Amino acid sequence: MTVGDQPRSLTTRPEVLDGPFTTRQLLRIDEALRLADSTTGLTFSVYVGDLDEPVRQHAEKLHAQLPDPSRSVLVAVSPNQRLLEIVTGAEARKRIPDRDAKLAALSMVAAFSGGDLAGGIVSGLDQLASHAGRS
Amino acid sequence: MSVLETVGIFVGIPLLIIAVIGGPAYVSGGRAQSKRYRPGRPFTFTPVWFLSAPERLHPDGARALTAGEQRPALAAGEPSQGAASQETARQGVATPLGATGGASDRW
Repeated sequence: MTVGDQPRSLTTRPEVLDGPFTTRQLLRIDEALRLADSTTGLTFSVYVGDLDEPVRQHAEKLHAQLPDPSRSVLVAVSPNQRLLEIVTGAEARKRIPDRDAKLAALSMVAAFSGGDLAGGIVSGLDQLASHAGRS
Repeated sequence: MSVLETVGIFVGIPLLIIAVIGGPAYVSGGRAQSKRYRPGRPFTFTPVWFLSAPERLHPDGARALTAGEQRPALAAGEPSQGAASQETARQGVATPLGATGGASDRW
């Protein structure tokens, strides 16, 4: 970005508002992420967008791009493909067993099938964080 | 009552009412519908990637930027740039695939 571009960028809409969420929903997701991170000590991250085939590998690649993949949990949601992937790193997997991740996935999918993307993400993060316990 | 008055009352007034009620409803209804996700219907939006505190994770390096920024996620969501995004994603692989756990589901 050049110096001349900066004043214009202040007046234009941030790109995140072109995403699937309203401002209120974005605040709720942000709050859920901060709570999950601070209580568990793990790093939670949420991706909402299309995933390339094979979906699982794409989600794992996104997870590997996080700064500390082994202590990170990625929740990848693809509304168009109607797919949900939860990826836990090696260290995070000890705190959140696959069975608990599946339980969280089930409750998230129930909300998504009702059309509630933000609600499903928030409740899923809450469930994952409570399964992980305090750090 | 002249023909002009008759037309004005029985055609002009109903048209006016339709315009007053239908116009605002059409304008605002179209905008609100595009924002709502309904399962099974195509839904276009900019892909987003959230982290709670991207700047605190890695204070020194550019890796935190790549993870916190939306750019890699955006590129990954665009079919036209699929090959390029896969290339950047491959460079970012730090843990061997298969060491990760988790769950998958669909709705």
